[in-house]
Amino acid sequence: MNKGEELGMETFQFGEEIQSLMAVVQPPEAGNSFTALLELPANQAVKLLHSHEETAPNNLPSSVFPSAENSLETTTSSVVPNSSPNNVNLVKQEPIDSDSMHNSSPNPSDPVVSKSTKRKEREKNVKTSAKKIKSVANDDGEELPYVHVRARRGQATDSHSLAERARREKINARMKLLQELVPGCNKISGTAMVLDEIINHVQSLQRQVEFLSMRLAAVHPNIDINLDNIFSAESGSLMDYSFPGMVSPQPLSHQLWQPDGLIPQPLWGVEETNPNFITPENSFLSYDSSGNSVSLYTNQLKMEL
Amino acid sequence: MKMHTSSKLRKEFIKKWVKGLQICCSSKKNMDILERKKKIKLCADIALASAKNETTLWSIALISEAKKDDENKILVDNLLGPESRFKPRMTNRQMIACHKRVRSKKILKKSRHVCQKMKKMGPPKSNLAAYIAKKLVKRRTQVLKRLVPGGESMDKFSLIKEALDYILSLRIQVDVMRTLVNANEVLNQSDSKIYN
Repeated sequence: MNKGEELGMETFQFGEEIQSLMAVVQPPEAGNSFTALLELPANQAVKLLHSHEETAPNNLPSSVFPSAENSLETTTSSVVPNSSPNNVNLVKQEPIDSDSMHNSSPNPSDPVVSKSTKRKEREKNVKTSAKKIKSVANDDGEELPYVHVRARRGQATDSHSLAERARREKINARMKLLQELVPGCNKISGTAMVLDEIINHVQSLQRQVEFLSMRLAAVHPNIDINLDNIFSAESGSLMDYSFPGMVSPQPLSHQLWQPDGLIPQPLWGVEETNPNFITPENSFLSYDSSGNSVSLYTNQLKMEL
Repeated sequence: MKMHTSSKLRKEFIKKWVKGLQICCSSKKNMDILERKKKIKLCADIALASAKNETTLWSIALISEAKKDDENKILVDNLLGPESRFKPRMTNRQMIACHKRVRSKKILKKSRHVCQKMKKMGPPKSNLAAYIAKKLVKRRTQVLKRLVPGGESMDKFSLIKEALDYILSLRIQVDVMRTLVNANEVLNQSDSKIYN
């Protein structure tokens, strides 16, 4: 959990004065750390990550990407459902850690991190100086302000190179995370290729957004995308409202109460039968109904209008 | 718990997106398809960024970029609404100064690096492969910086973190939009079946 804590602390610090802090804290002594990734053996980072993976409970439902068949770019989206549950688990740990950091003080005795030796080594690699970000974080954390860094065999003990090494390791670990997240990146070795994949992934996602918004614009001449058409589908009754006609919010509130009682049954009923066309809506509405009921959600929507 | 976070984000996104679209719709009628598409996308982006609630750099950058455009500014403010905790953290002048600082630091760093290299450089390019790899990596990171909103002013470390988070949020956005498109399609089909 050390990496999570570091991240949490950093986000916390950054949360206040992000831009200015970033400009000031450009670490002046570090070299081009990305490039040094290639020389660094990745064993330690991989072990760390595997410890992360094992301890992270796998509780993501498989319907993160419910509709793969209608995907516009089948290559990316079809691969994702297989790998995403694990990876999102892994990655989501970090934002959650940062969230918890806001509220409570960091918990050093986190039982998740069982590999205490690795953790100590990571802590020891943290070199603190007035300029580095971590020094601020260390002061209010459980780590001591002065850390003795252990030099590894056959490597320089120069203070600068130690700091650089620590930085490289951090970046390397994060790159591994990213690698796990993007589908198809696990087998690629080498930072440049991984970055390439990541860039492709981001670009494809952005293009998908453009494309989908174009499609939505084509369907709705008046941009008012009501969710009541989805509810009407769920209840099974097909109204004679056509989408283009729904301009005012009045029919929305009017209809919301209708499917109210009917919604729970079709949801639960249809969830079993998979290839039903309603499945996508079920999964995305059932997310909402996992905590609250769907009627609550519709009430929420209604009250916002 | 992770599912909870992502589904919470999803709910927030949907809520804000629908709200934004309704604001759009009420303000202007009879837009052509390109305008509509732009508005839809804009609302989706802003909804996604604001659902993050300022916890990430890219979301802040995205919102401030959207606010720069005057005609979007009103929409954004309405969307973020009375609960808008988001205020532009810096004025334009401050941001320009910040960028200048960043750039001059980069120049300094680069010149120092070059000097060090010249000192160390024994046999020039003895490790050709590593040298080429370094160049490649550098170019890739530049591209990534352009892709992630606000990436230009991030150092490599936070760039990776932001890219991670950005990818996750984009996935949610794509998922929701695709679901909506599918729903519409299906309803259209069933409608036409009835009338045939």
